[in-house]
Amino acid sequence: AQAQTIRLAHVDPDEWTASKKGAAAHIFKNIVEGETDLTVELFPAGALGNEDELVAQAQDNLTQVVLVSGAMSKACPAASVLDIPYTFSSATIAWDVLDGDFGDALAEHCLAQTGLRTLAYGETGFRNFTNGTREIRTPADMEGLKFRVQPIPLYVEMVKGLGGEPTPIAWTELPNALSTGVVDGQENPVGVIYNNGLHKLQKYMTLDGHVYAADFILISDEFYQSLTPAQQAVVARAARIAGNMGRSIQQWSTAEGVNKVQAEGMQVYSPTADEIAAFAEKAQPAVVEYLRGELGEDAVWIDRLQESVAAASQ
Amino acid sequence: MIYAILLIGLATGVPIALAIIAALLVFMGYGEAPYSLRVVATEMFKGMNSFPLLAIPLFVLAGEVMNESGITSRIIAFANVLVGRLRAGLALVNIWASVIFAGLSGSAVADTSAIGRVFIPEMEKHGYSRPFAAALTAASSVIGPIIPPSIPVIIYALIVSGVSVPALFLAGIVPGILLAIFLSVFVMLTVKVDHGDQAIGLTAEPASKAILGGILPLLMPVFVVGSILLGVVTPTEAASFAVAYALFLGIFVYRNIKLSSLPRLFSEAMRDSAVILIIIAAVSAANWLLTYNRVPNMLTDWVLLNVDSKTTFLIATILLFLFVGLFLEGIAAMLVLVPILHPIAVGMGVDPVHFGILVIFNLMIGLITPPLGLCLFVAEGIAQVGMARLTMAILPFFFVEVLVLLLLTFVPETVIWLPRVMGY
Amino acid sequence: MKTVNEFARRLFALGAGLSMALVFAIIFVNSLRRYTVGQSVSWGEELPIYLTIYGVMFGLALAYLQDRHIRFTVLTDFLSVSVREKLFAAVDLVSFATGVALAFSGHAFAVRRGNLDASGLKSAGNWLAETTGIDSLVWVAKVGTWQYAIAIGGALLAVAAALKFFERISAIKAVQA
Ligand code: NA
Ligand code: NA
Repeated sequence: AQAQTIRLAHVDPDEWTASKKGAAAHIFKNIVEGETDLTVELFPAGALGNEDELVAQAQDNLTQVVLVSGAMSKACPAASVLDIPYTFSSATIAWDVLDGDFGDALAEHCLAQTGLRTLAYGETGFRNFTNGTREIRTPADMEGLKFRVQPIPLYVEMVKGLGGEPTPIAWTELPNALSTGVVDGQENPVGVIYNNGLHKLQKYMTLDGHVYAADFILISDEFYQSLTPAQQAVVARAARIAGNMGRSIQQWSTAEGVNKVQAEGMQVYSPTADEIAAFAEKAQPAVVEYLRGELGEDAVWIDRLQESVAAASQ
Repeated sequence: MIYAILLIGLATGVPIALAIIAALLVFMGYGEAPYSLRVVATEMFKGMNSFPLLAIPLFVLAGEVMNESGITSRIIAFANVLVGRLRAGLALVNIWASVIFAGLSGSAVADTSAIGRVFIPEMEKHGYSRPFAAALTAASSVIGPIIPPSIPVIIYALIVSGVSVPALFLAGIVPGILLAIFLSVFVMLTVKVDHGDQAIGLTAEPASKAILGGILPLLMPVFVVGSILLGVVTPTEAASFAVAYALFLGIFVYRNIKLSSLPRLFSEAMRDSAVILIIIAAVSAANWLLTYNRVPNMLTDWVLLNVDSKTTFLIATILLFLFVGLFLEGIAAMLVLVPILHPIAVGMGVDPVHFGILVIFNLMIGLITPPLGLCLFVAEGIAQVGMARLTMAILPFFFVEVLVLLLLTFVPETVIWLPRVMGY
Repeated sequence: MKTVNEFARRLFALGAGLSMALVFAIIFVNSLRRYTVGQSVSWGEELPIYLTIYGVMFGLALAYLQDRHIRFTVLTDFLSVSVREKLFAAVDLVSFATGVALAFSGHAFAVRRGNLDASGLKSAGNWLAETTGIDSLVWVAKVGTWQYAIAIGGALLAVAAALKFFERISAIKAVQA
């Protein structure tokens, strides 16, 4: 048979020292091409489309492997339980949960629902609040502040629950909105904040880590089934290594980013466990209630996740 | 196969966008898996699914409302006060009216049509040859999309992430004015004196009234472009303010626009935008297919292997775009070539804003070159002198414009000085 | 024949004009609100985009009916008027076929995953359905509703091309007669 080609697409830069998905893509390509006769062609930086489009292309087996984060929960709603704020108190707990039984079960569920096989999980990182008005240590400090959120209902519910005023604004408009005072603050992973210079427009950051965003390394199952068992084994192993590579690069850029924004004048606050608990108490009920309504019978995934996290946190 | 359909379609006069779509549909419909017919619609939808793109219909609408409100005669009167008394005054008014028009509209074609209707007959009356008048009108209307606001600039900024609309807008101002100055000097040197055509008689109004009449419309570009430059509003929002201002002037100040003509203005604006946007949609679908098959990567590798210096690269780019501009509509050419050439240019140390303006200027020259030159078509539509005579008449202007392009290319300060000073 | 063409022209113009007016009004009011009251609606970006895509589809058909599309005329200019008109009539048939194929492509695209939510319109769609009691209004928030624009555009183009074809044929006959 003719040697097969894997088209691998993602929306991050094509680079491996600072780009989590870029790093994951490159190591995946190196391992698979080294150990099989498959060819891997990389399509970084959104060359084939945004995340939603990449998911659709993988479902059609147009693009065989895609690395996506937020778009997954649109195709497989159960995955949105990962976005429940203050679910994971640290990245390592998230890794334990996703690499354990919960992650496997979710992958199986999403495979049945979408035709996409989750080969492994990477990470986009924890999201944190920044603002230009005052230091936020407790939910009470959020009172009356306007926060830009993505136009996604779950984020709107979360900020409302915390006592802030959510304002949905497109990403491209964000710098404008921050500098003209249309909103007081925003929320994003540290790497995104630093790389886009948002720390120059904002004075305070609170490392509350409200939402943990996972990366999904997905393969079209139609394509996966066309591979030999030996090829499948290499592809699956390469994806797990790629996910871990992405996580490590992500951790690296977050740690570096926290230091750099401080060096450039931003005040960074790390809340205590008790303070985080206070945030969780205000934000979770609203979001969980909203999600239960949205998910219908998929709502069982909320409970499954909470059990797994409790077990992993022991 | 796909290219054969495209070429036959284009040669027999199938509208460009439809020829591209037809070729893609045949390829995707009959191509081997995993291609499917669905992909064409998916990628066309994606090509139009963008908020910044909405600046295009809004600026087209602002331009049409401005036209309808009798703005053309005010602009001409204003330009007349500025340059009408000089040698070859009428020709100069034609050029500088285009500069002012450029600040109101992002479209060269609209400028050719608005100013050509007035000037081609008027210049003939004053002893200019009809082909010369038509050629000058088309040649000077190219200034329109170079001076902000500009539809090509908005599209360029969409293609190349990291180059901002404000920076490109600022960068276009000096080149646009330089082009006007070069055309003016050329006209003053070559037009025979005995034309004695000073344009003072063009309007009966006193100068003070003409200046006042020009101020209100001129506030629009100052306000619109200014607010974009200050970062207060996005180009799309600014375009909606431009529409509102134009409607305000037309309905309440000049009272030339009746409410009953609004439906027609709206539908014509969307129709004229659709002609542009459907090309964007079709080319995005084609681009997706090219990317999917790694054609851009292969071209990039080839260029990097064969072109070693910045100067060679820039000259090759100019020749390529002049050549492509002969046959291709400017926006389609930009959508296909810029994603390939921009990274190479940046890699060779060309300033991204400089490169952007060079590409746009280059493609705007394509508007006056046959066989496919939209401004040429419009001017010919008004003048009816025959394509051959018009082409001969436009040749000198073409060389003047290429000269300005070379100046912009090898003296980058002409382009990037203004954005630098303003902090971009 | 004339009345049919005139009716189609008015219909296309209505669709294009309505979309243009709505797009302008939404963007203008929404940005005014953002810079004055500091608030804007969550559908203020997505809805104008989708309306524009519908508008483009109507505008495309209108432009076809009025021969406004950018076409490459250097070769066809050498032909005699009568031959050229016949060629353009043949082009109309090609455009008709393109429109039909595009309609199929657009239909396949929209039904494939059309029931996904358009994130910015979600709450507005739910609100509409709840306040009016008309459940089908939740479709406002589904991407398929808007993706269907391409299919409709293909159909409108086919109609415009067919009408243009008959118009040209009858003009050619009138010249010969
Ligand atoms: Na302009
Ligand atoms: Na002019």
